[in-house]
Amino acid sequence: MKKLLEIAKKVCDQAEVYSYENSESEVDFTHAELHDIKSKIQSGVALRIIKDRKLGFAYTCNLINREELLENALDSLKGKVKANYEFPFTKNLPNLNTYDNAIEKLAENLFVEECSRICDILKSKTDGEIEFGAGKDVTKIQIVNTSGTDVTNLTSSYGIGGSLIFPGGAAGVNRVFSKKKFQKTPDSILDEMISLYNSAKKVVEPKSGKMKVLFMPFSIYTLTWRIKSGTSAMSIYEKISPVADKIGKKIFDDKFTLYDDPLNDKYPGARAFDDEGVACKTFTLIENGVLKSFYYDLNYAKKLNAKSTGHGYRTIDWGGDPITLKPVPSLQYLTIKPGNKTFRGLVKMIDKGIILDGVMGAHSGNIPNGDYSVGVSPAFYVENGEIIGRVKDAMVAGNVYETLKNIVAIEDTVHDCWGGRFPAILCDNVSVATKR
Amino acid sequence: MFEKLRKILNKTDADYADIRYENKKDTFITFKGKELTRIGSNSTDGYVLRVLKNSGFSSVAFTKESDAKNAIKSAIENAKLLAKNTEKPIKLAKADVIKDTFFPELIEDPRKISINEKLELTRKLNSIPLKHEKVINTTVGYGEVIRERYFLNSEGSEIREDLITTRLGGLITSKEGNLLQNIWVSTGGSDGFQNVRNQEENFEKQTSIVVDLLKAKPVKAGVYNCIVNPDLAGVFAHEAFGHFSEADIVESLPAMREKMKIGSKLGNDVVSIIDDATIPNQLGFYKYDDEGVAVRKVQLMKNGVLTGRLHSRRTAEEFDEPISGHCVAEDYRFAPIIRMGTIYIEPQKDSFENLLKKLGDGLYIIDAKGGQTAGENFTFGAQYGYVIKDGKLAGMIRDIYISGNLYQTMKDIIMVGNDLVLTKTGGCGKGQTNIRSCHGGPHILIKNVVIGGA
Repeated sequence: MKKLLEIAKKVCDQAEVYSYENSESEVDFTHAELHDIKSKIQSGVALRIIKDRKLGFAYTCNLINREELLENALDSLKGKVKANYEFPFTKNLPNLNTYDNAIEKLAENLFVEECSRICDILKSKTDGEIEFGAGKDVTKIQIVNTSGTDVTNLTSSYGIGGSLIFPGGAAGVNRVFSKKKFQKTPDSILDEMISLYNSAKKVVEPKSGKMKVLFMPFSIYTLTWRIKSGTSAMSIYEKISPVADKIGKKIFDDKFTLYDDPLNDKYPGARAFDDEGVACKTFTLIENGVLKSFYYDLNYAKKLNAKSTGHGYRTIDWGGDPITLKPVPSLQYLTIKPGNKTFRGLVKMIDKGIILDGVMGAHSGNIPNGDYSVGVSPAFYVENGEIIGRVKDAMVAGNVYETLKNIVAIEDTVHDCWGGRFPAILCDNVSVATKR
Repeated sequence: MFEKLRKILNKTDADYADIRYENKKDTFITFKGKELTRIGSNSTDGYVLRVLKNSGFSSVAFTKESDAKNAIKSAIENAKLLAKNTEKPIKLAKADVIKDTFFPELIEDPRKISINEKLELTRKLNSIPLKHEKVINTTVGYGEVIRERYFLNSEGSEIREDLITTRLGGLITSKEGNLLQNIWVSTGGSDGFQNVRNQEENFEKQTSIVVDLLKAKPVKAGVYNCIVNPDLAGVFAHEAFGHFSEADIVESLPAMREKMKIGSKLGNDVVSIIDDATIPNQLGFYKYDDEGVAVRKVQLMKNGVLTGRLHSRRTAEEFDEPISGHCVAEDYRFAPIIRMGTIYIEPQKDSFENLLKKLGDGLYIIDAKGGQTAGENFTFGAQYGYVIKDGKLAGMIRDIYISGNLYQTMKDIIMVGNDLVLTKTGGCGKGQTNIRSCHGGPHILIKNVVIGGA
């Protein structure tokens, strides 16, 4: 890496080398039986150079010929992509506990045993279809640049997750659990899956209308996806954010606080720097309903006369190979501040409404505008604080900037789930469309 | 390269093994508004090894040749672990031994077009929407992905095939007051650069629609009879039905597997669905899948009766059905999984005008905006639509999201048009992204569709 940086330095004003090494393996269970085991050992290097305020970019999986990679980057300068920013000099980062070497000895047979144990428990207490998977991941990221930054992050993670699927379809109760090393899945997670599943086996057909909707942690990403769009420096620059002029203003109910928590090394994957080597920090976007900040990478910070907030990540909405992607503003560690109600307490507060445990189609629709319209997958119908049954073929729709003004209460616990760490949120006056 | 791959296979002590090496060459040009944000060409490469040992089947993906030894060890150990912990032994259906080199015929080879010409074409098309005062942003890009594939297996197959995909398009955003609207514009294909030329009219049309959407009314949530256009009909064929023709999905859902038995009557008589990746010059075209099986046309449904399924060698054996050549990977980072190639609803005899007449009052909804399935349930968005009164267009609508049940909807398709159109770009995400996922259909009339509104 350093040799590449040296030769790049000679022919351009600034350079940055990003190296990514990853090894992972996972086991999958379907029908509560072992189905597949697969593994990956992958790596790559990406080079960004800046010359005369123009950006050059190149990458490779196998750094065999450094000159050729540099040549590719120099060639892309011809496109004259503007780069008025400077690569940062980052030092004195906090020492995060992100790696546990126990992960190296963690073998696939342990994943098989743990998934079997869970499948046996779920099988003995429900009649649902069971899909579970477990795996480990070790990732090393190193960034060196011509400003003097040389930072490395090594993370270990173990994760397990699965679905308890209702008969006839694929909608089910999903839960995940992750740590820096192997740990048995807590009974509380399995008990909640079993209890929700068993209370909603009957299919009911409520009438369409506006009602209370309890957004469960696994459906919250529908809402945060829209907030991420609205608060990104990219959306501000492109003039497509509906909250561009709302800093300091109340845009949601005052129970709602949303922050990014990259330094929290209680969870796997914590980071002290982003994919551009800028230091990360705990970062509040929304505090008690008031919009506090937008988030920036180096590029959009410069365009908007701001400073990077440490949110430049090589990512896209789905998958993507980090070495092939340029950093863009992204929130990777979103957390919603918990409230003061238990999950059961929230259900008791529903006179008539649904528990939205999972969704389909969160990626569809007019995301910049804040609109969402999602299929339920699954949802449970509640009357007078009791789950009556499961709702099929229904859609929940609204606009995040309206929905989160109508928060009734928030759960007192945050859960690991897709898109962040979220509690359940009960909202009123949300549109639910069914066939009736 | 084949010699190198053969050496790795020879070191793999397995009952069956295959290895795929890919060199993937990308060219990307992206504009955001007037600003060029990305340009360049790069290549990445890697290997995927799959082994069958003691009736356990496992895979490993690796990027460095020096990791081959560890990769072989890991794949074999995992295959043994699988064998030890599963009651049912894994077998692969018999496949022909193939030795072939296949480079697709290109009408205009994108590799022979300079990056400057690609840049100027993208810039020109991107400038069309930006001329309109109500258009506040575009994200428009050119993408070219070339997968140079080398496949070798222990049965003696040795296949070299290139997959060359081009696409040009993106998102156009309009704004009036606080209202933002957007629309996708896209074109591309598998047979050359000519697919992205002469797209001015396409960009003009989508610009005009995204501006008109600012005046359109949000659709009221409810249940409607709807005509859906060919693109949406294709999304229905793909999302609602197609994924459950993929054997790896139905095998994990026993209730669906029971319902999706070959010979089951699932749809209305007018519904026939085909997957045919052998149609040349279509986005979904290929000759061999990523386990070395020649792809074939599969009649999935005929007059409402389930007649076929898409398979890998493993699932074909498990279902005791013929192999179909549909086991495809995104690139060198992934072991292949079952994917649709070119799926479409077979056209029938009725014209669009006949469908409108039959509909009377309802909605005409146009072009897809994302879709997802979970078992028998599906949801997808439409880019725009019109209210239909007495068979005539009566006002534009926006914020259209459909939700439905596969089995019910198959019965609710009551009329199928005669105007088949296949898509020119794709992007199915099933753990991996398939940019060559091609779908289509003619206009179709569906009764009792749940529309969510926004």
